[in-house]
Amino acid sequence: MQFSRNWLKEFVDLNISDEELCDQLTMLGLEVDNYKNYHSKLTGKDAVIKLDLTPNRGDCYSLLGVAREIAALNNLTVKLPKIKKVNSSVKSPIKVTVCDEAPRYVGRYLTGVNLKKKTSPLVKERLKLSGIKVIDPIVDITNYVLLELGQPLHAFDANKIEGNLEVRFAKEKERITLLDENKLKLDKNCLVIADQSEPVALAGIMGGFETGISSKTLSIYLESAFFKPEVIRGRARKFSLQTDASTRFERGVDFELQTLAIERASLLIHESIGGKFSPVQEFSKRSSIPKNKDISLNFKNVNKILGTEFSKPFIRRNLKSLGLVNSQSTGDAIKVKVPSWRFDLKIEADLIEEIARLVGYNNLPQSPLSKKINNPVDSLHNSVRNSFKFMGYNEVITYSFIDESLAELVEPKKGQLIFVNNPISENMNIMRPSLLPSLLDTLSYNLNQGIENLKIFEIGTVFQKGKNHKINQKELIGGLISGIKDKDNWSGLNEPMDFFDLKGDLENVLNDSAKYYFKKAEIPYLHPGKTALLLKGESVIGYIGSVNPKLLDKFDIKQEVNFFEISINATSSKSNIKFEKFSRFPFAQRDLSFIVDEGIASSMITDSIISKAGDNLKEIKLFDVYKGKGIPQGKTSLTYALGWQASNRTLKDKEIDEIIKKLVAFLSKKFNAKLRS
Amino acid sequence: MNISSLSKKSKSKLQKAKDLRALESSYTDLLGKNGEINLLLKSLGKLPQEKRKKSGKALNELKSSLEAIFQSRRSHLKERIFSEELKRDSLDVTLPGRIREFGTLHPVTSTIIEISNFFVSKGFDIRSGPEAESEYYNFEALNIPEDHPAKDMHDTFYLDNGVLLRTHTSPVQIRTMEKQDPPIRIICPGRVYRKDSDLTHTPMFHQIEGLVLEENASFAVLKGMLKDFINNFFGKETELRFRPSYFPFTEPSAEVDIKWKKGWLEILGCGMVHPNVLEMSGINSKKYSGFAFGLGPERMAMLKYNIPDLRSFFENDIRFLKQFR
Repeated sequence: MQFSRNWLKEFVDLNISDEELCDQLTMLGLEVDNYKNYHSKLTGKDAVIKLDLTPNRGDCYSLLGVAREIAALNNLTVKLPKIKKVNSSVKSPIKVTVCDEAPRYVGRYLTGVNLKKKTSPLVKERLKLSGIKVIDPIVDITNYVLLELGQPLHAFDANKIEGNLEVRFAKEKERITLLDENKLKLDKNCLVIADQSEPVALAGIMGGFETGISSKTLSIYLESAFFKPEVIRGRARKFSLQTDASTRFERGVDFELQTLAIERASLLIHESIGGKFSPVQEFSKRSSIPKNKDISLNFKNVNKILGTEFSKPFIRRNLKSLGLVNSQSTGDAIKVKVPSWRFDLKIEADLIEEIARLVGYNNLPQSPLSKKINNPVDSLHNSVRNSFKFMGYNEVITYSFIDESLAELVEPKKGQLIFVNNPISENMNIMRPSLLPSLLDTLSYNLNQGIENLKIFEIGTVFQKGKNHKINQKELIGGLISGIKDKDNWSGLNEPMDFFDLKGDLENVLNDSAKYYFKKAEIPYLHPGKTALLLKGESVIGYIGSVNPKLLDKFDIKQEVNFFEISINATSSKSNIKFEKFSRFPFAQRDLSFIVDEGIASSMITDSIISKAGDNLKEIKLFDVYKGKGIPQGKTSLTYALGWQASNRTLKDKEIDEIIKKLVAFLSKKFNAKLRS
Repeated sequence: MNISSLSKKSKSKLQKAKDLRALESSYTDLLGKNGEINLLLKSLGKLPQEKRKKSGKALNELKSSLEAIFQSRRSHLKERIFSEELKRDSLDVTLPGRIREFGTLHPVTSTIIEISNFFVSKGFDIRSGPEAESEYYNFEALNIPEDHPAKDMHDTFYLDNGVLLRTHTSPVQIRTMEKQDPPIRIICPGRVYRKDSDLTHTPMFHQIEGLVLEENASFAVLKGMLKDFINNFFGKETELRFRPSYFPFTEPSAEVDIKWKKGWLEILGCGMVHPNVLEMSGINSKKYSGFAFGLGPERMAMLKYNIPDLRSFFENDIRFLKQFR
């Protein structure tokens, strides 16, 4: 809604600066989006004010509505524009049948108009300042009245209407060509104005092309109707047609305004282009016209909700200045009548807002929130985020939707993918089933920027089809490393970051690493020899692996990339730490190297040692893995540091030697492992 | 036996010892168990008493003075070794430390954490909910009916079977109210989605919604709390104002602006929870009142860190991310 300030002044005597006017409007909830000075040749110094209105305030899509608000705030009265009835001198040949959804239809026939005449300069100027195109004197006047009062009007070429008019729902497959020459296929949800053969207007949205007026038009049928908001809502959007009329009708037009508006338009038409007028015809279905609602309001609730101590007379006075008249009063409660233009006021809370608006939100009191203690939980996963941060990772946030072609690389079963039905662009049409494509994309982007070493992680939701077409949503953490290790150091070894760099970082954040284990696996988009599942008991928590070069090739990435993704729940959070007593007896330490066949998983050797080394084994660390000189072809040497300690005595060397002997025998039997001397 | 010549000879031997090894061996030769001095002392028995006494005294004096010379020579030599070693062993201390560079948290995450910390300190719990949501939780339960013009404010992405991507994190409030009795104080941070993309809009962004539902939750408390929050986040001197607005799920509704570079800037929306919303979630609106608020971490981060372009948050350029240490 945009208008000239001088025009607004015709509706209310304003004695405040423009700055204050704008401030008042904004603070009433009619946000001033723009204010511009304008010099008018007709009215002198002027300004254009543009309001950004919220959808509840349909009544403020007019100067009258805006004036009402300003008047209420400043204790002024609203002045309606001049309305002098134009006498009738002809009879209308048209009758209108109304319905429940259009319970009031006011029409007027006029003839002998001269459309070659020009619109008055003042009307023209004001329409332009309101951003409305100047077309011809009739359309301009209907638009002018629309802006003044908020009542949309429509002018038909009366000679093109066959028979009488009827407001009804369209029949299946009926069609209409609108004024903007848009051809629409209608359905039975569309309310139309139809003559005896076909629809001539889309009710409350736009008139038809066939019955539109032109410079040749001689007779006009003027429409000033009330359509219920619910039959207009959604229709304009459905056809992508937002018009000045539909904007107002779908938010609610004053249901008592129709006659006034047609009288005002008649006067302006008569004054500028003359013509002979029929009497004003009102067709209505009384029982379907909305009633002025009563809302009851309890004073105590006003003060409870706002935290104020307003008195009854104060509250009453404020409501009255907005046209909310007190009809009944009992104890703490009153009943007020809602004026016909306020479609947004329905319940007590709405009235409380009205009082708050008039007092001014900034003038309302403020008080502190009472104290409350709670037990903080790491719901934001701050602990794991910080762990990765301190391990040198940069956190990224990528879009949850990815390109179908990328999604297919990590989820070859198309049926498992979740599509966005109305994507913002074609390459963002799948809800990602894995964090991998997005992280690879981030790597690729940064490689292209010349950044070759990257450690990144993201916490985000992935989406997959579940049972019964349900969507499985899981929150995962994914990490990706690629490039040279310790590149931030002058003493770095210039080695590429590999699988174990990532695995070590991952093991650092598992919440109880003893409960988790890794198992070799194959995942199609990862390297077949460098992939492991992370398990807890029987269930797969996530996986880690080198990304398959075939996949990297699609991103044009030429360096090794390692990636993991696991359920966020597997990562550590603040746990209940309980101190455990530790033994102060000596620690017996032995380093043992075993030569085993290549291909035997080290975890199997480790597990066997743990199971055979007795309860006093307190430490086991695999600290060297070696192949090459001194070791036979096809074999690997695994060196462990083992430590034993008893809680109540010093262990004897003999005992340890005995355990080691058994251990070696067992490993030799089970894995053909040899102790390396 | 000439003690004085022995004294001269042995003192010079110790004093001139080249290094620790030579010193130790001279020491053993002179003062060791079978050293020259001890052998002499042992041989004293053969001398007459008068002479024995005199020589014994002289020898013992010599012994202790040699001991002192030895000690001093030894510490001198040691000192020399240390200083030579220290001289040899030198670093270019201006070389950078062997740093393991820390990574960074995403500025949106940091902002969410900072905001959450404020509210957690005020007794709020953090709640989350699904991103793929139902029409009911995203719209209906929030008093946004089908076809209402308010829905135009939410351009929604749809998945299959009427499931949509939540356009705000308000559904989490509904899910919480359904499960938990008042009093409730929660904030719900998370990703939200709207079909919008330009300089100031991205199809995915974040929101933090808050809800307080208790017997004395009033607009005055909402105002006091948000003023506290804004002064905490943007600084004590930040001016703010409340102005009427419209959200289907709150009544009265307000928008909060802050004074920023001479103008007013919209920073968050809030209001008293609409009675319809409370009733639909099974809360007695006669007994309990509540307020809710919603704010955008991206916008807050842009203001706080002076970031000009919203889209840079999701580009994930390392040169951008590394600035938020």
